[in-house]
Amino acid sequence: MSARLSLTVKTQAEELARITAAVEDFGEREEWPPDLVFRVNLALEELGMNIMNHGYDAGLHEFDITLISEDDTLTIEIIDDGRPFDPLHDAKQPDVGAAIEDRPIGGLGIYFVREMMDEMHYRREDGKNHLTLVSRR
Amino acid sequence: MDVDTQWKGSRRTLFQAPRIGSEGMNTNWESHDGAIVATVDGRVDGANAHEFQEALEAVIKASESAVILDFEQLSYISSAGLRVVLLAAKELRKQGKQFAVCSLAGSILEVFKISGFDQIIPVHSTQAEAIAAVTA
Repeated sequence: MSARLSLTVKTQAEELARITAAVEDFGEREEWPPDLVFRVNLALEELGMNIMNHGYDAGLHEFDITLISEDDTLTIEIIDDGRPFDPLHDAKQPDVGAAIEDRPIGGLGIYFVREMMDEMHYRREDGKNHLTLVSRR
Repeated sequence: MDVDTQWKGSRRTLFQAPRIGSEGMNTNWESHDGAIVATVDGRVDGANAHEFQEALEAVIKASESAVILDFEQLSYISSAGLRVVLLAAKELRKQGKQFAVCSLAGSILEVFKISGFDQIIPVHSTQAEAIAAVTA
């Protein structure tokens, strides 16, 4: 059994509510455990906000999100035509053991995605970022 | 933003609480023996984190000695929300006030641990424990 959810999202933060609602609805239909719904929403927000805030110089753009829910795994694909960004190499690893005065504000988003997902693959193709995430249920 | 002036708590502390509800989040604040307890209900994400930040700044301004964030009713928080929590922690530390969080469940506790925040911000299982700790 495999089910698919496809969303085209505008680069504005208000879209988060629509993504969340769609993921919750999809997760319910696919009988995901609650923690998977949380992890998927977190990954989509962190990566989506990254595209919205850093992917483009200006203007309103769109990017695509596809979720493929199978018996054992969930696959997330995010495709955007913003500036090249490989979260596997271009994001700094935060020092989560640092003392409070040394902790910088921010820099946790991509780290969360890496912690919350089991696999992460990136490729730049045809002027687009293709990011694939896999989570075993 | 609507501003809602509330009288609450044993010391009848008067402060102005921005009412937040439009983006799926509500905060309510009470004063307990000098510690302000802010309960956060709903979701804190990249779309409403700035409102959460404004709310926390007002709480910090109103607090005399300590601030507690009660996350029992919090269903979701992302790095945008945790950023605000860290800002609050740093500001309270600078002002010499105590800070704690309580009642973190499931995935909320998990992101707190993954981010290492449980090592730099006191975490208590219940609101009563948090109040006892910061007012001790």
